[in-house]
Amino acid sequence: MEMRKSIQNRRTGVVITLLSLFCFVLIFEYCKITQWNVFFIVTEIVLFIIFSASFMATFIKTGLWVFIHKPLSKLDEREITVTSRSLRYAYIVFTVTTLLLLLSFAVINTPIDIVLVVSLILYAHILPAVNIAWTEKEI
Amino acid sequence: MESRKIYNRIAILRKEKSLTRNELADKVGVNFQTIGYLEREEYNPSLDLAFRISEVFELPVDLIFSTEPLTPLSQLLTKK
Repeated sequence: MEMRKSIQNRRTGVVITLLSLFCFVLIFEYCKITQWNVFFIVTEIVLFIIFSASFMATFIKTGLWVFIHKPLSKLDEREITVTSRSLRYAYIVFTVTTLLLLLSFAVINTPIDIVLVVSLILYAHILPAVNIAWTEKEI
Repeated sequence: MESRKIYNRIAILRKEKSLTRNELADKVGVNFQTIGYLEREEYNPSLDLAFRISEVFELPVDLIFSTEPLTPLSQLLTKK
């Protein structure tokens, strides 16, 4: 696990990544109800670029993405503890978020779009790395 | 169960043996960052890892690890 960035930088990266993903879905859902215009299309493109850039900087370049996907046989005992804790945390957060989201969509009687589903899968997949990026000290 | 903090002398023993964190990590089979965590006493090693570390330093486990804050070895020798 090579995390050269300071914890503050990593936390900023996490916030930007999650916020850009959330705004991307929010604008998409808003435009689905109302109407798409040039401003929202440009905003969506910009948000996608911001998400991709912050994802690369926070998770790929730091080695976190590789770390979280390593087989257990290639991790030492502390790393197994760290990944286990992060997966448990990710499971709880994802379950609560998804349940609340599905409940909200059921209440407002709106069908779930594929963009939301893809974003939720992406969200579930990055959550363990988010936990490690947020909690692990500088190494 | 809340685990107790385990104090250790890894940092001083490693420097005494002129080993880098990477070298010690290779000898005991962990990532070098784990050695950093151990030295800062932010991670309690398993019994297996503790024994592997004690084998590298050729010292008994209880001389390297303790549940009580450790006094420097030099002070122990002076007392004797």
